[in-house]
Amino acid sequence: MLLSTTETVPGKTIREFYGVVTGSTVRAKHIGKDIMAGLKNIVGGELKGYTELLQEARQEALERMVAQAQSVGANAVVNVRFSTSNITQGAAELFAYGTAVRVE
Amino acid sequence: MSFDPRLPRDDVNVSKTHPLAEAWWLVVGAAAAGLVLTVVALALSDAAVRWLPPSLEARLFGGLVEAGAAEPPDHARAAAARDVLARLSSHWPENPYELQLSVLDSDTPNAFALPGGSVVVTRGLLDQAESENELAFVLGHEIGHFAGRHHLQAIGRALALSLTLSAVFGSVGADAVPRLTSDLASKGYARRQERAADRFGLGLVEREYGHVAGADRFFARLPDAKARFGDRAVAWFVTHPVTEQRIAALHRFAQERGWRESGPLTPLAPLDPRAPAAVP
Amino acid sequence: MDPWVEIGLQLGVPLLVLLATYGIGSAVERRHFRLLRMREIRSRSMPVATILEVPPGWEVTGSALVTGSCVVSLDYFKRFVAGLRLLFGGRLASYETLLDRARREALLRMKERAHEAGYRAIIGVRLETSQIAPNGRRDGRTAGVEVLASGTALRLGR
Repeated sequence: MLLSTTETVPGKTIREFYGVVTGSTVRAKHIGKDIMAGLKNIVGGELKGYTELLQEARQEALERMVAQAQSVGANAVVNVRFSTSNITQGAAELFAYGTAVRVE
Repeated sequence: MSFDPRLPRDDVNVSKTHPLAEAWWLVVGAAAAGLVLTVVALALSDAAVRWLPPSLEARLFGGLVEAGAAEPPDHARAAAARDVLARLSSHWPENPYELQLSVLDSDTPNAFALPGGSVVVTRGLLDQAESENELAFVLGHEIGHFAGRHHLQAIGRALALSLTLSAVFGSVGADAVPRLTSDLASKGYARRQERAADRFGLGLVEREYGHVAGADRFFARLPDAKARFGDRAVAWFVTHPVTEQRIAALHRFAQERGWRESGPLTPLAPLDPRAPAAVP
Repeated sequence: MDPWVEIGLQLGVPLLVLLATYGIGSAVERRHFRLLRMREIRSRSMPVATILEVPPGWEVTGSALVTGSCVVSLDYFKRFVAGLRLLFGGRLASYETLLDRARREALLRMKERAHEAGYRAIIGVRLETSQIAPNGRRDGRTAGVEVLASGTALRLGR
């Protein structure tokens, strides 16, 4: 599956398009990570625990989007966008969407 | 570039776990976590109590003693009781406390150990005691609470329990659960403390008098727990073990140690200076 | 009151409410998913894409900004599960179905509205999720989530 954030997959032509495909997951962080992050917040810097958590969740959102694209017989998703939103305290939604297409 | 209307699968963005199964495992997990947390909090609180030096304890809780025991007009037997307290604590060489005795103006026979090293006895107890041995066991029992640092443990444990239980159950909104379970737990725990203090006190009495006769007489004067609270199932709610069980436990302990259970009782000073000493 | 009765009431009543709201909530959810699928099948012939440029060969006679939105909220049971899940972390399945429903509903509303107005395709679609009324409850848990779908609807000449 080819993914791109641009109008087309560079070097290829879109033959057919099938519509919007989406992938999302909602993840909660656990209290342990919260406490570590709370400590880290004092000195600042990267919250490694959160980076990993969000990275993993975003990967899953992408995989779900790809699964939708596969189900319509697409071989690429173009104009992919990500969005992360705070759903409730301690939980975030990782969301990816794009247009499923067949390129040649 | 043409459009081909095809619908993507509609089941990829939802997880397939059954909501009831998920809820069940989450509840089980939360209960297990709560249990572990509670055990750890109790152990921490006990450890903290062991490391708190008695001098600091006295400074922290000194005000409590003064507020708790207003001295009534001096009792005829107060001096004797202080003497017994001093003699008993001499059999506990590692005693870190400066034990003090005060008399509370109340008819109900009872005694308390307050944090910081203060023993409070009621006027009723001094009035009704038939022998020094009986009084000595009560005082020894209170010294036993200091030896086990029970009063501090009780405070620490109550605090730890209410903190952890309300952290777990408070989120669900069932605030009766932490309140009542910590009540039950602390009462069960208090009964174990009472037994431990009984044994310690009995040991002091044995070392002082060479026998343990008369020690259990105090229980006869306690309001009968069984009459008040009914059958043994309810005994769980009573701080002190049911009187008969407690007397039986004392006798068993004395037998185990091979302590003599009969011997001469030491008379107490008469309440009315003109009357002869009360010898049972 | 007898302490055991009090414990029983304080745990039993929420348990009954939980099971009842689970039953009602999942019935509502199943029905919504069924309806969503039906409407998706009905409106499938209308192209909706995130691409920004009009596909070559299309004759565009007009365009307009179109939006569709949906605010959804959790039932008591799902809120309970989510509350526990926040202790352990991991996938919040109850919110996933909620957001899936909201997103498909918002997209369908946008499509249906555009179609009613005579438009036959939407490009440049954007989807956005936001938390509504974060202080709706004392514990800061959300009262609802809004999903907004927006795009440019095209009127096509033949």
